[in-house]
Amino acid sequence: PPLPASSSGPSDEPCAHVRRDRANTDFRFTRRFPFPRFVSSSRLSSSEPQWSDRLMSQHFSRTDQPQDAGSKAASLHWTGERVVSVLLLGLIPAAYLNPCSAVDYSLAAALTLHSHWQVQQSFQGIGQVVTDYVRGAALQKAAKAGFLVLSAFTFAGLCYFNYHDVGICKAVAMLWKL
Amino acid sequence: MAALWLRRAGHHCLRAHLSPLLCIRNAVPLGTTAKEEMERFWNKNTGSNRPLSPHVTIYRWSLPMVMSICHRGTGIALSAGVSLFGLSALLVPGSFESHLELVKSLCLGPALIHTAKFALVFPLTYHTWNGIRHLMWDLGKGLTISQLYQSGMIVLVLTVLSSVGLAAM
Repeated sequence: PPLPASSSGPSDEPCAHVRRDRANTDFRFTRRFPFPRFVSSSRLSSSEPQWSDRLMSQHFSRTDQPQDAGSKAASLHWTGERVVSVLLLGLIPAAYLNPCSAVDYSLAAALTLHSHWQVQQSFQGIGQVVTDYVRGAALQKAAKAGFLVLSAFTFAGLCYFNYHDVGICKAVAMLWKL
Repeated sequence: MAALWLRRAGHHCLRAHLSPLLCIRNAVPLGTTAKEEMERFWNKNTGSNRPLSPHVTIYRWSLPMVMSICHRGTGIALSAGVSLFGLSALLVPGSFESHLELVKSLCLGPALIHTAKFALVFPLTYHTWNGIRHLMWDLGKGLTISQLYQSGMIVLVLTVLSSVGLAAM
């Protein structure tokens, strides 16, 4: 983004998560944070001590970085993924302590959504290398569509099991009594 | 000082954006696109049969690296299991109870059943505990190297304890 003529001074670097593992190409690293900017009230004078003092006493105002629609969507998707993860985490003790059909259906939904998003993400990571250099856009589209169909059928199957059979919570309990 | 330079650069950029005539002397017409250049690179190199320099075979394995790969691996395995379960509910005839009766009729020893339960529950507990560790990172906590190793060890200990506990139930 172009620097407005009136601002001066350094802007803080957006903080990025440093993950000490293999290169991850998910959009976590392209997420843009609005970062504070130093706003000066007058032009910089030539006297050095005054300049550093002014810098120290600047109050910086948070100006919104112009986010394009794609970046905003990606950011919301990331947050959505965390919400589903936390939900699933909470459903595990709930399934043990309070097994009921509501928990069954919530588990089915959270489980399939979490697995769909995360597995898609992991294959996107591996697939980035492929998409960059190998022709086969049609193959990738087919793989993506196939994966969506698999997730859809998994969810349908789990709901069918919840409705026509004993349900997820009861099934685990029965399996464990073996 | 840097601020003054930044202002000059900002002015220049702003001018370049506002009046394109002024920036013609800076603009260089590109002969190729990035994609074309990448293709050229790969065509040249796959044809020359040059050996690839070693990477995964020589890089030192570290605990966070292995745990991250295992997190992904267990995640994919668990997803596959859930999908298998869901699809078999739709496609395989017979109720869940009848299938359990079938397994019961095999009269597998308690040791085997215990082992099977452990094998089922181990990836789940590992993925769950490490998942919590991931969520902590997303909150911005525990990102230093020493904290990484500490939390990693805690996750491993919790995994073993909870797997043993759940398999014994």
